[in-house]
Amino acid sequence: MLSLLARLFKALNSEAAPGQVAFGFALAMIPGFTPLFSLINLVVLLLACILRVNFSAFILGVVVFSAIGYLLDPVSAELGEYFLTLPSLTDTWTQLYQNDWMRISSFNNTVAMGGLVISVCLLVPVTLVSRILILQYRKRVLNWVNRLKIVQALKATKFWSIYSKFSEYS
Amino acid sequence: MTKWMRWSGLLGFLAVVGLIAALFIFLLPFLIKSGIEFAGTKLAGAKVTVDDADVTLSPLGVRLQGLQVADARAPMMNLLEFDEAIADLELAPLMIGKAISNELSVSNLRFHTERETSGALEVVTTEDEEEKSPSLKEKASEALPSVDEVLARETLGTPQAGEALKSAWSENSQRVDQAFDKVPDDNSIAEYEDRIRAITSGRLESLEDFRERKKKLDDLKEQFKQDREAVRDARDVVRSAKSEVSEKLAALRNAPSEDLAYLKDKYQLSGAGVSNITGLLFGDDAANWAREALYWYEKIKPYLESDSEEDAAEQEDEKAPRLAGRFVHFPSDDPWPDFMIRSARLTGPFDGGQLVISGRDITHQQTVTGRPAVFTASGDGLQKIGDLDGRLVLNHTLGNSKDTLTLAISDWKMAPLNLGVAGAKLASSRVKLDATAEVIRGELDADLDANVTQAKFTGDGQTLFARELNGALQGINTFNVDAGVTGRLKNPDVSFGSDLDRQINSAISQRIRAKQDEFEQRLKNRLNDTMSEYAGEYADELQLLAAMEGSLDDKLSALKDLASAELEDFKAQQEREAREKLDAEKAAAEEKARKEAEARKKELKDQAKDKLKNLF
Repeated sequence: MLSLLARLFKALNSEAAPGQVAFGFALAMIPGFTPLFSLINLVVLLLACILRVNFSAFILGVVVFSAIGYLLDPVSAELGEYFLTLPSLTDTWTQLYQNDWMRISSFNNTVAMGGLVISVCLLVPVTLVSRILILQYRKRVLNWVNRLKIVQALKATKFWSIYSKFSEYS
Repeated sequence: MTKWMRWSGLLGFLAVVGLIAALFIFLLPFLIKSGIEFAGTKLAGAKVTVDDADVTLSPLGVRLQGLQVADARAPMMNLLEFDEAIADLELAPLMIGKAISNELSVSNLRFHTERETSGALEVVTTEDEEEKSPSLKEKASEALPSVDEVLARETLGTPQAGEALKSAWSENSQRVDQAFDKVPDDNSIAEYEDRIRAITSGRLESLEDFRERKKKLDDLKEQFKQDREAVRDARDVVRSAKSEVSEKLAALRNAPSEDLAYLKDKYQLSGAGVSNITGLLFGDDAANWAREALYWYEKIKPYLESDSEEDAAEQEDEKAPRLAGRFVHFPSDDPWPDFMIRSARLTGPFDGGQLVISGRDITHQQTVTGRPAVFTASGDGLQKIGDLDGRLVLNHTLGNSKDTLTLAISDWKMAPLNLGVAGAKLASSRVKLDATAEVIRGELDADLDANVTQAKFTGDGQTLFARELNGALQGINTFNVDAGVTGRLKNPDVSFGSDLDRQINSAISQRIRAKQDEFEQRLKNRLNDTMSEYAGEYADELQLLAAMEGSLDDKLSALKDLASAELEDFKAQQEREAREKLDAEKAAAEEKARKEAEARKKELKDQAKDKLKNLF
């Protein structure tokens, strides 16, 4: 069972190119800005699994963007309210509402709609910015970080040995 | 394409999702059971227990076994229980946490069953120890106490007036006694008369004799003057006493009528009391039934949505929590509220027959479904109530907030109903009942018409009211009752109308009035007796005072007469005697002359007669 999980993590974390890490991170905005347990996020999880993106970056992104999303919820709700009550879109929403799967997606929830709109709009910019930051990090900061005593102490822990063991698979 | 895809990840995804789904299905029965018990307990305020909950996958549904809802007000009783409930569940809404069932069937539903263990929650409740105002029944039971009780409990004016008279008499009698000590008695007056007579009678022999008598007379007059002052003082004291005692006596004589007026006002069986006899008989029970209905309505009400401002406020509140948001619903033939039972059928034994309760579109979000929740209850040939037809419509759709109940019972054989007033009991009766109730935006408007036949009243009350009421009820076997309830839900006005009032009125009013008159007469007699106890003694005393006053007036008059007696002086006596002698001589001369004139006249007459004889 553990070896099966290890192989799974190996497969998921094998994509370490800056673009793959950046997109995995940016994709996490959608579950971060919208209600977590929804059909949309199940689809996003599926995408994160089957697309060649860095899964660790995705998980990290979910944590980071959930925290941001907590603060962003009022804005998401206002934005979702605006779109869902926009008269010109009413027919579209009404048609979508007739479909069970669309309704399961909770598209008619104000926070979900607002969060989805924000995260989709920011998906490409965040991917690009993240990619630049990752490149700069690897070039300028990684060596300096590795020399930090706290990092060295961390690497001496059992946790790091387990992490390294998984990393060897990648 | 394969450059972008990682198909091994799909396996991982399916494995994780499958694991979660399996875990969810495994835990679902427990979650359902716990959820029903938790939410039900919160709603009912007493324990709600489910013996077992199962989830069926094809078709997707839930089966509950052995649900019991304890009665918060009687923890050893269940409000209801059933053996089994089966509900299907729609998968798609369930995936987003919405429980929608197309059909719910409940079998062997029973009401008010006994529990083996207490269903009370372990919550310390403090009962309100508000002082209850006496109910109509309590008021009626103390409506007419006995005469002795009334006289013992009331502070009345008659005894007080009697005591005031007694005190006034005691005070004045002392003053009268003191004043009378100075007044000459009858013997003294007689003695005065004798002495006056002695002084003023007899011939004055000389001037010296005259002077001596004059001095005695003046001394007596001085004495008379003092006595007259004493008599005047005594007369004033007596008049004052008489006035004060008369006043107190008049107050005492008026006191019984004033007391009687006060007691009549306080203890009468008023016309209003008799005309509201239906409210008296059924009021408390009706209030209990209404309280029971309102208790459950208030429990349900928070879960009924409408488009009111309050709901708008609630919707605003929904925006605030993290990850909640608001669901904007659009027109659909298949709306998905958070919870809905499209159709429910509950059956169970009831009153020797079968009760069938049906429900349609049962949800707390009627603004989503756009349809009101409708409940119907029917039972045919029930032992105690005959046929039952009830319909409850809870309409809280967009723009509406109206709940309507109609209820018809064809032949309710009422169990002996202890009316609790005057020991009266409705031993048996048959009731045909029609009721309607509407609650529109918190305003209640309900009407109830009950036609009661074959009524048999019994009663063993011992009070006047009880005896008269029971006597009147014995002759009544058919009557109608109309009840109306209007106003705010928490404080409705209840009114009763009934031809029972008229029937009782005609039967009881005359008897009550006669008894009332008798009661008043007895009260009056007792008050008059009390008055007489005081007044009887002092009325005689008052007459005595009046007599005293008269006596003093006589004495004063006598003394005045005595004081006016005068002694003739000596010179005047001489002149009077000379004048009397002259008058006597003059009278004798006149008599002699008259006799001589008559003799001459007779002589002439005889001569004339003789001359006439000679002529013939």
